[in-house]
Amino acid sequence: MKPNKKTSRRRFLENGAMGAIGVIGASQLLQSCTTGESTAEVVVPNILDTAPDGQPIRAGVVGCGGRGSGAAINFLDAGPKLSIVAIADVFQDRIDGIRGKLKKEKDVEIPDANCFTGFDAYKRLLEVDLDLVILATPPYFRPEHFQACVEARKHVFMEKPVAVDPVGARAVMAASKQAEAAGLCVVTGTQRRHAWSYQNVYARVKAGMIGDITSTNVYWNQNKLWHKEKQPTWTEMEFMLRDWVNWTWLSGDHIVEQHVHNIDVSNWFVGDHPLEAVGMGSRLRRPTGDCYDNFSVDFIYDKSVHMNSMCRQINDCATNVSEYIRGTKGYLLTNNHDVFDLFDYEGNELYKWESPVDADGNKTETSPYVQEHIALINAIRTGNQIVEAEQTAISVLTAIMGRESAYTGKKVTWEDMMGSDLQIGPKGEIKLGPVDMDKTIPVAGSAPE
Amino acid sequence: MRPKRKKSSRWIFLSGILVTALFIFLGNKAVIKTSTDEYCASCHIHPHSTQSWKLSTHYDNKRGIHVHCVDCHLPPHGERYLPEKAKTGIRDLWSNTFKDSESFNWEAKSQIEYAKGHAFEVSCIHCHQNNYPLGLTKEGREAHLYYERQAGELHCINCHITVGHYDPNRLHAKNMDFGIIETADTELYTEPGVMEGHTNFTEYITGSTVSFEMIAIPGGTYMMGSPENEPFRNTNEGPVKEVEISPFFMAKTEVSWDEYLSFFKQTGAKGKTSDAYLNVVNDDVDAISGPTPPWGAPDQGWGKSSMPAMTMTHQAAEVYCQWLTKITGKKYRLPTEAEWEYAARGGSSTPYFFEGDPKRYVKQGLRNKLFGVDTSGINTYIAYMENSGARSVSPETKMENPFGLVNMLGNVAEFCSDWYAEDAYAQYGTDVLLDPQGPAAGEEHVVRGGSYRDGAEDVRCASRDYTRSVPWLKTDPQMPKSIWWYSDCLHVGFRVVCEFEEPGANQE
Repeated sequence: MKPNKKTSRRRFLENGAMGAIGVIGASQLLQSCTTGESTAEVVVPNILDTAPDGQPIRAGVVGCGGRGSGAAINFLDAGPKLSIVAIADVFQDRIDGIRGKLKKEKDVEIPDANCFTGFDAYKRLLEVDLDLVILATPPYFRPEHFQACVEARKHVFMEKPVAVDPVGARAVMAASKQAEAAGLCVVTGTQRRHAWSYQNVYARVKAGMIGDITSTNVYWNQNKLWHKEKQPTWTEMEFMLRDWVNWTWLSGDHIVEQHVHNIDVSNWFVGDHPLEAVGMGSRLRRPTGDCYDNFSVDFIYDKSVHMNSMCRQINDCATNVSEYIRGTKGYLLTNNHDVFDLFDYEGNELYKWESPVDADGNKTETSPYVQEHIALINAIRTGNQIVEAEQTAISVLTAIMGRESAYTGKKVTWEDMMGSDLQIGPKGEIKLGPVDMDKTIPVAGSAPE
Repeated sequence: MRPKRKKSSRWIFLSGILVTALFIFLGNKAVIKTSTDEYCASCHIHPHSTQSWKLSTHYDNKRGIHVHCVDCHLPPHGERYLPEKAKTGIRDLWSNTFKDSESFNWEAKSQIEYAKGHAFEVSCIHCHQNNYPLGLTKEGREAHLYYERQAGELHCINCHITVGHYDPNRLHAKNMDFGIIETADTELYTEPGVMEGHTNFTEYITGSTVSFEMIAIPGGTYMMGSPENEPFRNTNEGPVKEVEISPFFMAKTEVSWDEYLSFFKQTGAKGKTSDAYLNVVNDDVDAISGPTPPWGAPDQGWGKSSMPAMTMTHQAAEVYCQWLTKITGKKYRLPTEAEWEYAARGGSSTPYFFEGDPKRYVKQGLRNKLFGVDTSGINTYIAYMENSGARSVSPETKMENPFGLVNMLGNVAEFCSDWYAEDAYAQYGTDVLLDPQGPAAGEEHVVRGGSYRDGAEDVRCASRDYTRSVPWLKTDPQMPKSIWWYSDCLHVGFRVVCEFEEPGANQE
């Protein structure tokens, strides 16, 4: 919790000091939280502006589309002595794309010998001398790639969601424990957990400012996401991969792929995962793939704490990306990295997060997409291990539980998920060509006689 | 005087320290001396215990580490090592001095329930601190996640029973070779057995060399359950009901491994990796899909052939009956609980179908504890705790009951078709019951007859028991768990009945 030299004076006063108090007060805090009696000390962890200096870290990127390239740049922005030295993707044009971007934006050149294509490109990338791997392929591949990275003793930054089905989610939970035992660090793209704003309101909620949490509402309602039209030169597999967010076997559907962010916030604040879910959803306007475009799920945690979750990707409808956390004494509103307010039920504002600004009024807050890499590098260089894979796998499995309930119309429990052999995706080896799988879009229930 | 006394007390003090030091030194020596493998082996006369240890991964491993007797059979130092050592030491001394080692039942002592008591889980965890080492297989990772979620209900040895003492019959792995028997050049049956009226007949399993005897059980009326004054009676055995049973056939013996393996061979889904789906749709038995390969050796290495088949699930037993129905053209099924008890009693209304007081056969009461249980009489008919050696027996070793059935009581317990309810008999009306079928719905099925591991009190004609789906599948690491084999139930099998239709009954 020592403030880093590069932490600004202002930030040190704001966060560092609180962090220092926090360490001492942590045990008391836990106690007072469970009793819910009085407001305990507010503990905001020390958030760094940049990663500390240390041993050089050489990274490889697996999955070089938009998020892979973005994550590579975020990684390089996180601190000193960080380099990208190898890249892997199924497609050559993705390799060319990220090379161009890295050259243009960061003057980084990747040698030909360290560029790999194909479905097994990640295996060859792991043979390069690397310290860390960034995994940003469609999530279907994540459990296999993550396992391989852990076995190869690499630190990992991987994008959420970390799996698309229960078998995959459990595989990541186990691999996470392996990473922990092997001393590796893993950060998982749930950047809200690293944002200054969320950290500050979380500390206040944990300190009891709004009492015990009684329910949460989480939303990701937005316009249609992107899609690709099938090109004549593409095989079916290539089309699916390039259009991946629209295919459940590749993305997990949008409740898992996108809305997991908000579900993860609910799990984080409640400090648990739901025990059951009843959900509904449908596909009204999505042009390609087999995903739904709207879900609404009632999740129930222990002690009857409900999470109402809602997500939609349809144009010209009400949009809302936020969380609403309701406690016995007040509530928290968060709104897509913008509004973070705590109120009591008389309407008094208990706390409002103000993003720090410089003399000219510009926000000085580090982007949460960089912040999560700072946390990872800091953990590796200071030895304060951080492994987020299991907690994210739990949130992903929560979202999968909601999805399966909507698909089937049935109540689905956490026990069902932990014992399920559901594995989605094509039969047999994954390769370019036609895709042998059931592409029926699920419809819940049965029609009247 | 004073200084002298001071001097002597100093001497006393010093010699006290010396004696204490010597005591600790010698005590420590004794503890070390009595904790060596050689010392253990000097008294422990288990057949093959040293040999099986040397074959196990705790002796013979790539790292060259030998795990010693006390490393597993006592807790680690600082975690009740000395108290447990004292306890086992006294127990062993007593046994060694006063007991006849020939009388020890090593088979029973190597069963999980017993083994848990003398292999300390804290000791496993003391050395094995990481459940997720790199290189662990996918199945291993899944299984350890499962273990951790069972919070204390599973002991490491539930799965890893063979790590300290090797036993090829108990490996925790899918047994792909199970039931593969090279068929000799003997002739296979091409026609099923012929039922001629209500008389005993021999059934032939077509496509195999296996046959079995079916006994014609006459119709009749009996009192189901036990009177309140019967020794060891449980409340679920009453109230006593008058029951009328129509004529039927019942297999003379419990379904043998020969019979069950014919089913396994003809329908078994060898290549299938998932147990998820059972391919039988009501009456359409054309597409019967049989068992997947089991875990470990379901016969426990006790022998197959005429030995009773066991560890199959209740559902598997039902599918077996459907399969038998299909290949023989007769109507095979599991017995109802009422049929089962009627057949077991063979006309008797006493605790057993032969004369005998259950109190005489149990290990209770001073006399029986001191002088051993007098098992003469019961030995002729029932394989149970006091005479079985903790394993099932071949049917040739026991005598028939009045109906001509063998091993109705003891040996392996038997599935019935009824759902189990504690108050099943009370749910019935007061009239004479005609072929009752049990409760309409339930969670678990009835199991009757008791087994080789039950005491005399639980092998009475009226004793009732039931399946335990969750505990009996506790260590099955598959997702979902097998629908074909119980991973943690070694004492239940079944017996088939065949329906008899009175000539002309269908003419109306």
